Amino acid sequence: MKTNLNVPQSQTVQAFYLFFIVHTIQIGAGLMGVPRILFLDAQADAWISVAIAGVYLHFIAWIMIKILRGYENADILGIQTDLFGKFVGKTLGIFYLLYIFLILLSVIKNYIEVVQVFIFPEIPIWLMSLFLLSLMVYSVTGGFRVVVGTSFLFFLLTIWLVLTISKPITYMDWGHFTPILQTSWTDILKGAQRTAYTVLGMEILFFVYPYIKNKKNIALPVHLGLAMTTFLVMLVTVVSIGYFSPDHLRETVWATLSLFKIISFPVIERFDFIAVALWMMVVLPNIVLLCWMLVHSLKRLFHLKEKHSIFGVSVLLFIGALLVEYRMDIDLLTEWTARVGFWLVFVYPIFLFLYMKLVHRWRRRRRA
Amino acid sequence: MERRIPVKKELYMESLQKHFRNSPDLVNKTFTFNRQTIVIHFINYQVNKDQLERDLLPPLTNAKKPWTMESLKNAIPLSSSEEIKDFSSLARELIHGGVSVYIVGYEEVVVFTLPKQDHRALNRAETESLVFGPQIAFTESLMTNLNVVRWRLDTDDLTVEKFLVGERIQSEVRVIYLKSLANEENVQTMKQRIEDIVIDEIEDSTVLNQLIEDSSSTVFPQLITTELPDRFCNSIAKGRVGVLVDKSPTAIIGPMTLFNFFESTEDTYMRWNIGTFIRMLRFLSMVISIVLTPMYVAALTYHYEIIPSSLLVSLGQSRATVPFPPVLEALLLEILIELLREAGARLPTKVGQTMGIVGGIVLGQAAVQAGFTSNILVIIIALSALASFTAPSYMMGSAIRIIRFPMIILAGAWGLIGIVFALSFLVIHLLRQKSLGRPYLAPIYPFEASALRGTIFRLPFQKNAKRPSYVMPKDESRFDKKRAGTKRDRSSP
Repeated sequence: MKTNLNVPQSQTVQAFYLFFIVHTIQIGAGLMGVPRILFLDAQADAWISVAIAGVYLHFIAWIMIKILRGYENADILGIQTDLFGKFVGKTLGIFYLLYIFLILLSVIKNYIEVVQVFIFPEIPIWLMSLFLLSLMVYSVTGGFRVVVGTSFLFFLLTIWLVLTISKPITYMDWGHFTPILQTSWTDILKGAQRTAYTVLGMEILFFVYPYIKNKKNIALPVHLGLAMTTFLVMLVTVVSIGYFSPDHLRETVWATLSLFKIISFPVIERFDFIAVALWMMVVLPNIVLLCWMLVHSLKRLFHLKEKHSIFGVSVLLFIGALLVEYRMDIDLLTEWTARVGFWLVFVYPIFLFLYMKLVHRWRRRRRA
Repeated sequence: MERRIPVKKELYMESLQKHFRNSPDLVNKTFTFNRQTIVIHFINYQVNKDQLERDLLPPLTNAKKPWTMESLKNAIPLSSSEEIKDFSSLARELIHGGVSVYIVGYEEVVVFTLPKQDHRALNRAETESLVFGPQIAFTESLMTNLNVVRWRLDTDDLTVEKFLVGERIQSEVRVIYLKSLANEENVQTMKQRIEDIVIDEIEDSTVLNQLIEDSSSTVFPQLITTELPDRFCNSIAKGRVGVLVDKSPTAIIGPMTLFNFFESTEDTYMRWNIGTFIRMLRFLSMVISIVLTPMYVAALTYHYEIIPSSLLVSLGQSRATVPFPPVLEALLLEILIELLREAGARLPTKVGQTMGIVGGIVLGQAAVQAGFTSNILVIIIALSALASFTAPSYMMGSAIRIIRFPMIILAGAWGLIGIVFALSFLVIHLLRQKSLGRPYLAPIYPFEASALRGTIFRLPFQKNAKRPSYVMPKDESRFDKKRAGTKRDRSSP
């Protein structure tokens, strides 16, 4: 496997789109339920957890960009084989693959669950998976530019949902936040760690880097995308804590979606129905980008044809979606994905960075 | 294979007769004077007789000296004379309105072209009618159309290239663009696609359009077909490539994006704020047309909760007697509207209006009274049908009407989830489309802020000094923005 990729000009995109790529892959299934998860750990100080997580995100992004800048046009798979040798590099690559598959499956399962709870209790799982997977296949077979376009357009089509949150804001009780810092720092940090599932996906930077046209300017859109993610997570967390009573929030699994319940327009009374249906458009860039990563990596690692691997992946996802049936299983899946993701996305890059510096210095010395 | 022209007179006349299978329309005349025998041939109705009798026959027969090939070509006061050696090209020239002059003893024939072609004069545009602005439309005659284009685009930069399409029956095709402006890749793609066509004959330019489009499986048109010379010329002046086909009143322009199909030349002729408003209205009406009926179906089939309680009462009352589920009810009415539209298009104009009234008012009113549909659905369907007709491109309007049907069925089957699935599918579908290899959703994706000013909005001309960048013109700047913005009126004291 070559470390650096040769990407044809027609497949590259401007760095500007990194904002949307990074942001839309992070926002999705996780955001629906993040307020409760944080609240369980960090109580009223959950917003501090989000702030810590947000700062940490930027730090990791900085490290990731540093790693990528160490090479000319490489992705994580190439870098790993370059640093660790062929065998270990490939094994780590497979590890990434499994992790991406898990997160993909958990996103699909979580959204299906939400649809069943909020709109259609009786809609069959296979049908919903078929909906999502067919859209995924249709987008990914269009090539990288269509994938990025999907992320960009669906962001534009759904971002206005943020504005509707202004209504719950008016009902917030600021007393829910005081007294500040009642929670222990360990719990707050634990909360910050629990944010991981919501903000997973930024590792796409490791995969998408060779496809960026103007590599010099990637830092700004990436950090803006992360800031936007942090802002959204912060917003829904703060509003949820202020809006729901503590006991209520503990029992509200998808607090973000429940916020939509009180929003109504002259012609639409229960907006949450529309919001949950539209959430498919929020989840879709997630699925599409993750699938692209999977297909791209399969091609890099095993030289699989994209067409074949796309259909292989969707068949596996379909079977997986049918097998993971109960709420408990979905929770377990999400839990495990979050745990693996935390180490792989938020810890591993630091190690990789230090190791890369070491290897590069050693190589330079040997050459000299 | 080249077939030579027979030298002997009898043989020559006989072979021509045989070639045209003794057609009664092939006229031959033999003159003998100055110790010379001259035979002329022409096809009766293809030749302008007045001109023939005034300009060709008198000088031919009044000659003092025997004719030679040279003198024949040069001494007769007609601009189009050609010397032909090949028999089959002689036959083709005769079909195109040529008069062949054959001097016994020569191996060549001189052909004078005096074509007569009946075609209608330039008329008002019918399908793309405008409230104001230039009114003429293209006609079926290629020469007339080219004449209009040359007249509108008064520059020697205008490049016209000729192609012949069709293996059995050939049609003349012209590719038109501005040399200094049109992107070479676009021109090359267009020319390549026209050259690559393998077909026996093309019926019309719309057929050519379907043959050169990027994707034939989608309902969305990718190149604009227009009958308006001003639209055609404006597009070419922006750096696009145009195509005219003989015998067809529709011109083709590309590359286009989805949003260009909602532009009308009228937006340009109106004041910018009104033009922008109208354009926004069209985008809105597209959304209404696609989403409104499916929303009604979804809400009434599955999600009663969405409808505000006050509205629910009146909705329930109007639907109380309707025996069908909302999907069927909606499909029924949608098909009724489509029937009316189709019948209106086919009926002779005199009957058309009456039928419109019968269909629209009587059928609609009766359907509600008979309890077939609810009043509110009639309003919704009428609104979305009306909205679909606001698209300035008839093809785009039809595409929008077609995609409503699967959307209604999906909404009936899976409610809001079905609608969002269909919309997502639509967006990805549009993302995958291309026009002459250029992205179809530009300037939204790939995002180009400067092109939004002219494509999505219609900002004042002084503020919009650029040609749309997604067309990739060689020169993006239309004029100097700074100079254009100032008016040097004498300020009053």
